[in-house]
Amino acid sequence: MAAAIGSSISFTSPLNTNQGVSKISNMNSVSLSINVKAFRSLSLRSTSHRFHVSCAAKPETVDKVCKIVRKQLALSDDTSVTGESKFVALGADSLDTVEVVMGIEEEFGISVEEESAQTIVSVQDAADLVEKLLSKDSSPSA
Amino acid sequence: MASPSRLEVLSLFRSLLRTSQKFTDYNIREYTRRRTIDAFLQNKSISDPVSVSAAFSNGKSQLEVAKRQAIVYSVYAPDVKSIMEIK
Repeated sequence: MAAAIGSSISFTSPLNTNQGVSKISNMNSVSLSINVKAFRSLSLRSTSHRFHVSCAAKPETVDKVCKIVRKQLALSDDTSVTGESKFVALGADSLDTVEVVMGIEEEFGISVEEESAQTIVSVQDAADLVEKLLSKDSSPSA
Repeated sequence: MASPSRLEVLSLFRSLLRTSQKFTDYNIREYTRRRTIDAFLQNKSISDPVSVSAAFSNGKSQLEVAKRQAIVYSVYAPDVKSIMEIK
């Protein structure tokens, strides 16, 4: 129990400093508040611009990108395509990369710029770029 | 004309694909896309700088043609979509 309380303190205090540990009175509320704080801090982490987390892209986005890559390169179902796969490692040349980027543009309805398109080397890069462009479109621009 | 760099060639490829997306007619859109991919794949392995420059300038003039035609066709865009576009 003490270990659980200790872990909750270290996990949540940097993000929710106003949520005092003093609220926790019995063991039931400890487990509940850990869950609530865990979810809240997760959502804070994904939307906050202060934190640059490497796994910023949602899994559905990565999945869609993987599907596009798989279709473009005509990969068999047993070749693994993960977030970390580089296009070159999957057997794509630069023309294939351009086509994949065009496919991604069409799928997500975004427009990728030249310089950004040239820096994409892995599936994760593409998914992150998609997320960035989608959030820029949906957020109210100044 | 100096031999085009790799980035220029890729940029031309991208421009051609983007222009092909602008066509309102399904058939022409698909044809332009297919043709550019085939042409670039076919010319992928030429190493002689003269042929590379010739192919590059050919591609650029085709890009101009495609851009003009996309605008002209959009004026006479059909109201009814092709059956292939209706999912």
